[in-house]
Amino acid sequence: MRIAVAYKWAGDPQEANVGPDGVVDMSRAKPVVSDYDAVAIAVGRQLADSNGAELIGLSVGDPAAAASMATKTALARGLDRVVVVTGAGLTSAGATRTASVLAEAVRRIGGVDLILTGDSSIDAGAKLVPAMLGGILGWPTLTDADKVSISQETVTLTRVVGDQEEQLAAGLPAVLAVSTDAAAVKAPGMKDVLAAGKKPVEVIAVTDLADAHAGEGAVRSARPLDPPARRRVRIDATDPAEAARTLLESLRADGVLALRKGE
Amino acid sequence: MPTYLIVPPTGGVDRLLGIAAPLDGPVVALVVGDTARAESVAHSGVDEVRWIEAAPQVPAEAYAAAVAGIVTSAPGVLLAGRDPASRVLLGAAAGAIGAPVLVGVDEVSTEAGTVVVQHGVYGGIAQRTTVFDGPVALMIDAGGVTAQAGAAPITAVEATPQSITLVSARSTGGGAVDLPAARRVLGVGRGVKAQADLALAQDLATALDAELGCTRPLAEGLEWLPKNRYIGISGAHIQPDLYLAVGVSGQLQHMAGVRASGTIVAINSDPSAPVMDDADYQVVGDLYKVLPALVAELAGNA
Ligand SMILES: Cc1cc2nc3c(=O)[nH]c(=O)nc-3n(C[C@H](O)[C@H](O)[C@H](O)COP(=O)(O)OP(=O)(O)OC[C@H]3O[C@@H](n4cnc5c(N)ncnc54)[C@H](O)[C@@H]3O)c2cc1C
Ligand SMILES: Nc1ncnc2c1ncn2[C@@H]1O[C@H](COP(=O)(O)O)[C@@H](O)[C@H]1O
Repeated sequence: MRIAVAYKWAGDPQEANVGPDGVVDMSRAKPVVSDYDAVAIAVGRQLADSNGAELIGLSVGDPAAAASMATKTALARGLDRVVVVTGAGLTSAGATRTASVLAEAVRRIGGVDLILTGDSSIDAGAKLVPAMLGGILGWPTLTDADKVSISQETVTLTRVVGDQEEQLAAGLPAVLAVSTDAAAVKAPGMKDVLAAGKKPVEVIAVTDLADAHAGEGAVRSARPLDPPARRRVRIDATDPAEAARTLLESLRADGVLALRKGE
Repeated sequence: MPTYLIVPPTGGVDRLLGIAAPLDGPVVALVVGDTARAESVAHSGVDEVRWIEAAPQVPAEAYAAAVAGIVTSAPGVLLAGRDPASRVLLGAAAGAIGAPVLVGVDEVSTEAGTVVVQHGVYGGIAQRTTVFDGPVALMIDAGGVTAQAGAAPITAVEATPQSITLVSARSTGGGAVDLPAARRVLGVGRGVKAQADLALAQDLATALDAELGCTRPLAEGLEWLPKNRYIGISGAHIQPDLYLAVGVSGQLQHMAGVRASGTIVAINSDPSAPVMDDADYQVVGDLYKVLPALVAELAGNA
């Protein structure tokens, strides 16, 4: 049995620079395997151990995603081996192209029974890659999976949607996006880091895959986020009662709260 | 080019219709659900309904391939909500026709047959206007369902579900909540030290007639509040008249969900917390003292 975990090597936009022309410069945001993707790897490790399965990490990105720093970081989280598909511009590719390249890689690896993904990527955060990947492969796809277990033919999971907790079963092969707290994630230890250096890494150039390069539209204009200007009125709450009065009076004066009775 | 609204068994269509309105071509709702659902969507203002009847104990996601099949035969603009079922159906359909997808959509218009979309990128740190000359898929908060005069024709579509079954379901007891529709929202963050202390926030929310929401760590990880109450890029996108951020640091991922609020009040002990820049009123102090003071002040005026 083979389980693949899709993880992204990307930086946090919180650390990015946005130019006055609206162009986003991610070069200062240090790439990581995000906490959410680490959860998917942890779930995969548990499933692989209890089912004697192989656990393969799969990532699509710029050449940096194939650097040994990147692959070792991912492998130290408990993957048996990794496959990285690289090409310039792939890290910032949209979900459609990312998913189509991932699908090609899954076909190339062959014999994959289950693909796990994180809840959302740290940079795009669209929560769409698993859905598109499942759609392209034609495999049953579910998201927000909490407790996951597998048998030869099925994967069983729980998830919370709205105020319902559901238990679901899907036939394999399938795609599952795990919730952000589906497994506890712990920092890799020294042993994991050393072992990571010895595990197999396969790098595939995207040009060697049938890359259905999805069009991503023509960008007409870009600008930095221009949030509504806020008044930033400071109210010191050293005296909480006084601060409470000041705040409520201000909100009433603004018409956000109703006036007190009698006024 | 048709515009498809992808409609799972629950959730709304109004905001999808609002986005679809300026686009050329018919508005076709692809509904997965029961008869009543197909009927109510047919009365919401769409031109046409294609209806896939969901079998008992089969979740909407099992019809992803069927929805993708319908779209493949006549590609168009795809619109869907942000809930799990909508995402899976939209993703499958967009994947099948190779349409680019966008989240964080602010405005859509059309020019000479192209679709012009104003949207955020990277969680909203920058905005772009992008022009598409073919199909594109957009994910937005779906809104409610408002009945309109007149009914669109409903065509039933036979579909074989993929192998997904609902084994069991139970209520988590959290209750349904519609944060995007709330006029006042109080959002709590990790500045609250213990679950029991949420009572302080709940008291103020009650006094203000506000819904209680939270940051993601409180709903996932700590699990102090149900997941349908967290606000942000991956949670609810709210647009109340008043948002109070209490013990919330104001990270990008949270603020992306509250920017459309009318007035923002931050209550935080750290005067340099990022949330302060995004606030109309910056109350610098200990929430454990400020919340009871606000409750007392509001009660005194009742
Ligand atoms: C891909 C991705 C998606 C994410 N999506 C979301 C999302 O949708 N929504 C979301 O909320 N987060 C999201 N996050 C997490 C987000 O980045 C932040 O980590 C989170 O919002 C921080 O929550 P917080 O403000 O409650 O906690 P903290 O950042 O720990 O802030 C706590 C604040 O409380 C203040 N405080 C402490 N004690 C007191 C006191 N006694 N009185 C007053 N103030 C006090 C502190 O000064 C601090 O500012 C996401 C993260 C990632 C990587
Ligand atoms: N470039 C990528 N390479 C591998 N996996 C990815 C990539 N982008 C997204 N994913 C996976 O898809 C999940 C959801 O991503 P997104 O749709 O971008 O929010 C992530 O948590 C990853 O598991």
